[in-house]
Amino acid sequence: MQEVIYQIFGPNPEMREIIGLTLIMSALSTIISSAIGIPLGTWLGLTEFRGKKTWLKVNSTLMGLPPVLVGLLVFLLLSRSGPLGKLSLLFSLPAMVLAQVILITPIITGMTANLISINANTINETCIGLGIHPGRKLWLVLNDYKKDYLINILAGFGRSIAEVGAVQMVGGNIQYKTRVMTTAIMMQTNMGQFEQALALGLVLLVIAFVVNFAVQSLRSRISDD
Amino acid sequence: MIELSGIKVLRKGRLILGLDKLIFEDGLSYALIGDNGSGKTTLLRLLTGIIQPSIGHIKGLEGLKLAYLPQKPYLFRMTVWENVALATKESLDNAQGIQEAINAVGMQGYEKQEAEKLSGGEAQRVAIARLLLVKADLVLLDEPTAPIDVRGREQIDAVITAYVRKNGATLIFATHSLEQALKLADRVVKLEDGLQQTV
Repeated sequence: MQEVIYQIFGPNPEMREIIGLTLIMSALSTIISSAIGIPLGTWLGLTEFRGKKTWLKVNSTLMGLPPVLVGLLVFLLLSRSGPLGKLSLLFSLPAMVLAQVILITPIITGMTANLISINANTINETCIGLGIHPGRKLWLVLNDYKKDYLINILAGFGRSIAEVGAVQMVGGNIQYKTRVMTTAIMMQTNMGQFEQALALGLVLLVIAFVVNFAVQSLRSRISDD
Repeated sequence: MIELSGIKVLRKGRLILGLDKLIFEDGLSYALIGDNGSGKTTLLRLLTGIIQPSIGHIKGLEGLKLAYLPQKPYLFRMTVWENVALATKESLDNAQGIQEAINAVGMQGYEKQEAEKLSGGEAQRVAIARLLLVKADLVLLDEPTAPIDVRGREQIDAVITAYVRKNGATLIFATHSLEQALKLADRVVKLEDGLQQTV
């Protein structure tokens, strides 16, 4: 245990860099995914249109996308001969964020759509009855479900921080550049450096615990309200 | 005048509302009575445009300003005042109107109360107060006083009557209370198993 603590707080800055980069990557991915997924999920939950069921089924499928497949697609997209190759983003933080956004957005969208659909009929009927136009209704609902959205956002963050397959493929696990906790754990385990792997595993566990605790607390606060 | 003719509403092949001909004349009040599942709510939802008839036509709804109180109105997670203010676009200029609506339903003193913490009857009063700010030609109410206690119902009945008169609106409301139907309505429409029985 002493060794684990030394690895995190000791003189070598690499561990702290890895943790910092992981948090930045997960936070950026979650912010972008939430900015897309929450309004989209809210609109999907509220609105009835032809093809909605198909859209939701496709989204459900995307919620379970294999990370390695996403990694492969983003890799091909960003590789030198790919459509976005000129941007030279492969093996960089933006590439990792892009892969994570593809993975997390359907999760936040789907969770939000499910959440909103519970009260969608009463909200829609109430707004029609008061002459509230759809744009204002969307704004009111976004405002009304702030706390609930936070649960979805935290769930997205939890998924993001624990993901390994896609970020390994498009990030390349480059020291001081794209090495995050999950890829570092994998590498150090393969190299037999179990203290460092365990130290990062412990940090990951603590973060997962904090996120989970926050989600549970929010859930109980919302149900108490 | 609103005219429904040859209306059939089918859900999964089952008839849930069938009306040969039904006319609602301007400025009159109509009560829809009938058991649960008789089609009252479906008829109201048809008039709001939320659902469309499988067969048949509705004439006379074009250009009408609507106010509709669903059976379970939604209160946003705001204060009572903010919920009522939602119904008016000029909420900053219409503070007096908002207060009058709150007073009319007996919710004065609750203005700063969070809507989530209200009882079912109180929430319904707020939903009715909110509707009072909509200047409507057609007022549709789905069991407006069902969650409200007996003493409160008389007050709300009076408020609804005054609101409809003030706007010169046509009122169509669903109720299980024959007493309320006879008190508020000029005409009573009885529905049974989705079919119109008498007017």
